[in-house]
Amino acid sequence: MGQITLKKVRKAFGDVEVIPPLDLQINDGEFVVFVGPSGCGKSTLLRLIAGLEDVSSGEIEIDGRPSAELPPAKRGLAMVFQSYALYPHMSVRKNIAFPMKMAKISQDEQNRRIEAAASALNLTEYLDRKPGQLSGGQRQRVAIGRAIVREPAAFLFDEPLSNLDAALRVGMRLEISELHKRLATTMIYVTHDQIEAMTMADKIVVLRAGRIEQVGAPLELYENPRNIFVAGFIGSPRMNFIEGPEAARHNAHTIGIRPEHIDVSATEGDWQGRIGVAEHLGSDTYFHIHDTGLAETVTVRASGEVTLRHGETVFLTPQAEKIHRFDNEGLKQ
Amino acid sequence: MATTHARAAARLMISPSVILLLGWMLIPLGMTLYFSVLRYNLLMPGDNPFVGIENYQYFLTDPAFTAALINTLALVVGVLAVTIIGGTLLALLLDQPMWATGIWRILVIAPFFVMPTVSALVWKNMFMNPVNGLFAHLFKSLGLAPFDFLAQAPLFSIIWIVSWQWLPFATLILLTAMQSLDREQIEAAEMDGAGALSRFRHITIPHLGRAATVVVLIETIFLLSVFAEILVTTNGGPGNASTNLTYLVYAESLLRFDVGMGSAGGVVAIILANIVAIFLMRAIGKNLDA
Repeated sequence: MGQITLKKVRKAFGDVEVIPPLDLQINDGEFVVFVGPSGCGKSTLLRLIAGLEDVSSGEIEIDGRPSAELPPAKRGLAMVFQSYALYPHMSVRKNIAFPMKMAKISQDEQNRRIEAAASALNLTEYLDRKPGQLSGGQRQRVAIGRAIVREPAAFLFDEPLSNLDAALRVGMRLEISELHKRLATTMIYVTHDQIEAMTMADKIVVLRAGRIEQVGAPLELYENPRNIFVAGFIGSPRMNFIEGPEAARHNAHTIGIRPEHIDVSATEGDWQGRIGVAEHLGSDTYFHIHDTGLAETVTVRASGEVTLRHGETVFLTPQAEKIHRFDNEGLKQ
Repeated sequence: MATTHARAAARLMISPSVILLLGWMLIPLGMTLYFSVLRYNLLMPGDNPFVGIENYQYFLTDPAFTAALINTLALVVGVLAVTIIGGTLLALLLDQPMWATGIWRILVIAPFFVMPTVSALVWKNMFMNPVNGLFAHLFKSLGLAPFDFLAQAPLFSIIWIVSWQWLPFATLILLTAMQSLDREQIEAAEMDGAGALSRFRHITIPHLGRAATVVVLIETIFLLSVFAEILVTTNGGPGNASTNLTYLVYAESLLRFDVGMGSAGGVVAIILANIVAIFLMRAIGKNLDA
């Protein structure tokens, strides 16, 4: 079981309120991602759930049990830290055994769980090494192994992939997703990377300045963002926002259109502009279009290889049903 | 080959300092070795004949030598134990957030800046004196007979004085080590269910291992040659109760004016210091590897 309910949870450091009262329901077995720009309070929220920070007011219920006053170890949660926080003087085996040793689990049971975790994470041949002799990805797996053996109600991940290089990050992303499918344990994952959020989450929680902007499944957030902030944060490259007469034509203060929902043509279209930078990725090409009279730049995606070049004039046509309309407070109409 | 020339030139240019350093070390060492095989007593002027290992025989069979050897080791081990354990506890205390941290830290570090003779005299006259010392007053106020520390427990008293001087050093090194401990490791241990004592035992102490090694090695170098504290408090007495090797060498050369014997003692001290160094590096040197 791993059902976590936050009720009016509030956190202030002195006079600075980093998390205004906040409610959130996390269901058993869900993969929930907290995402937001840096300083939005997502790590603080995770640390409140973990018990590493005390709530200023409010209640945290884990499996229905009020836990806001419990010390971290009593909450039955396991955490994987950004720096991995492995114990450098202990071998991999002892690192993984440490939480079980603290819980006074029998030696046989400890060995059984270590073997199981090591084989699941491909660590068997590294069990007698020290963390200093491992690569970043291996250390990451040891940190996960140390979390798994406790058989926690939920796993907490604090930006676990941000110290890895790009290729390894994609691999670890898949491994963590697979681990979630296999264990079916609740996982809460903090990241600033919306691609990690989109690819891994069952449910994304978008945060800004300690407030929840929107909660929903990845595609729900992509297709139906509640406000300009979520619209701009989810999706890569960013959604284009257009104000002024063109927005007024659609009865909105601001309209938003994603780069992939604009058709590009060399001969005809609704909007006209000049190509600035063209980013050729092979499968797609992104054009940054200037001088449209709508916004400083409009980003568009064209599929496959496109013959248009820098400085040429192009015509753009937004797909009418994909236009998002926002009122003057930034809320979706 | 430019590099060959450059290397030759480099050797030529560093040679003055190398020669100076070697001379500084080798000439006194050579003269000590030379004097140690002569019968050379300033009270008996005249020939200084070569006597081979006679000085060494007398020095090593002198009952004072065994006593001095044991005292030297007891002094080193005693002070190391007090400073490492006390230093760790003090560092733990100073690492806590509290009021006026800066002032506390300066107070703790202060004894290190007091020169050994002064601190030994302060302890001897103001604290340990059986008539006027603070301890004597304390004992009398409790209705006890004053304890004459320097007469009845001379070695313990000297260990106490030297520990007081070296405690700040150990505290300082261990405190900086403690502050370099990764917060996330402590938090991880907290999540793993380790209480405050387990965290200290399993995370903090292993983390301090390297710093403690540095403290042990550096302090050992200085503690093997403690001298001023003994000279101004007990003069090595009563009897030989607080004589260490350094003091014994001093007594032979400058109280009995026996240069040959003093030199032999010096050579023995060098050899013993090296044995201690090898033993220490074997025992704890691996802590220094990254």
